[in-house]
Amino acid sequence: MYPEDLKYTAEHEWVRSPGEAEGSLRVGITDFAQEQLGDIVYVQLPAVGDEVTGGETCGELESTKSVSDLYAPVSGRVVARNEQLDATPEKINSDPYGEGWMIEIVPADPNAFDGLLSADEYRAQVEG
Amino acid sequence: MSVTTHEDEVTSGSNEEPDVPEELARTALYERHVELGAKFAAFGGWEMPLQYQGIVDEHNAVRGEVGLFDVSHLGKVSIIGPGARAFVDSCLTNSLDKIEAGEAQYTLCCDESGGVVDDMIVYLRSDEELMLVPNAANSDEVVRRLTEAAPEGVDVRDHQRRYGILALQGPNSDAVLAALWIPVGHDYMSFVDAHFHEIPITVCRTGYTGERGYELIIPWDDVHVLWDALIAAGEPQGVVPCGLGARDTLRTEMGYPLHGQDLSKEISPFQGRAGWAVALSKPSFWGRDALAREKESGPARRLRGIQALDRAIPRPGMTVTAGNSGTGTVTSGTFSPTLRQGIGLALLPSEVSEGDQVTVDIRGRSESFEVVRPPFVKSSPS
Repeated sequence: MYPEDLKYTAEHEWVRSPGEAEGSLRVGITDFAQEQLGDIVYVQLPAVGDEVTGGETCGELESTKSVSDLYAPVSGRVVARNEQLDATPEKINSDPYGEGWMIEIVPADPNAFDGLLSADEYRAQVEG
Repeated sequence: MSVTTHEDEVTSGSNEEPDVPEELARTALYERHVELGAKFAAFGGWEMPLQYQGIVDEHNAVRGEVGLFDVSHLGKVSIIGPGARAFVDSCLTNSLDKIEAGEAQYTLCCDESGGVVDDMIVYLRSDEELMLVPNAANSDEVVRRLTEAAPEGVDVRDHQRRYGILALQGPNSDAVLAALWIPVGHDYMSFVDAHFHEIPITVCRTGYTGERGYELIIPWDDVHVLWDALIAAGEPQGVVPCGLGARDTLRTEMGYPLHGQDLSKEISPFQGRAGWAVALSKPSFWGRDALAREKESGPARRLRGIQALDRAIPRPGMTVTAGNSGTGTVTSGTFSPTLRQGIGLALLPSEVSEGDQVTVDIRGRSESFEVVRPPFVKSSPS
């Protein structure tokens, strides 16, 4: 449910280091988040080249019944976005940690990853 | 990630709920829903399954195969006694002269100003016996109004927990019932009484999905027997348990109004696409004078279908701008699983017509929609 090799945010994003692009972190939403949202039908992601600020909104996820903001887990520059999600947003539901990834960010602070939540810390948050 | 839910969208009459809701009621199938992993939501005072596996899959099962819904939260009201039929005809908007015993009809309970207290199906058993199925949130109010008006000898009785209702909807629904020797194939909007083993059931060719299907009225304590039998018999037909989330996307694709959103005390039948169920030919019924005046002058606003021209989903309460004609409001909106597009119903100034382009303010973005005539998908319940 919450892979040990990932880091997490309180806003239900996961972060993988490294991403595919050089020096980047890959970002998606957790299994808990996709389960809460239900069938995701539209995804709005920042464009490649956008600067994002950690803890601030950088996109939007819309499901049949709800809308939610996507928060940037760290500050930095967007270097990749998952273009597949425009046509097949349901990949976020079926494979949130794999094909359902969303963006890659080159963090402004190279140590930003270390400051995020561990799998155990995140699990404690969502499972109370 | 902060989630803004739109569950009010499927909660009929939610705006009439008190701020601190009483404890939610549960149907006889609550444990079944828990075992199936349902997510629950409040609907008119009831804790009902919103979805099991997912709204889109459940929706598609009903359009393509068959789905089973627990809609036991709906009201069940019997009206029995000499002159029962004439009494109901003198209160509700549609004309019972259009149907015969054994048939059902969509009708409205209006107030004197022509506002809609509730919409419902009336089942005509005989001149002395009818059954109403109003919305859960409004059942008490409908019972109250009818009881107050009932003549001597006509008994209005609330059977909320005496019966449960299952809706089996989809092109394979006949095959599922036939496998259980339950009668099928009667006309759309008609009903027959039958037995499943010793259990008396009423099999109605009605529904709220736009697909061929049935609604079964079953004694409350026996609903689980029918649920289990339908799930088992439906397996070869691809039956899927469906929540009220899919019921809402299915009805929205058909443009069927939902009371509390698209019809209300503030939204009259002529505004809300339900004028066809108002029989002004009848000498009197609740709200007749006000409705006759509105029909004469023409409603100031009308409920229209809107379909996204881009990737946008309208939600209830959003503002619609219709060029020089003014503004309106989205009353229902969802992602259409069939069209894979945003669709909705919106109250728009009467000057707006089909084919016009309007914009909807979606969280600060101006998104383009086309005004269309529902249904949004080609489907027929008959």
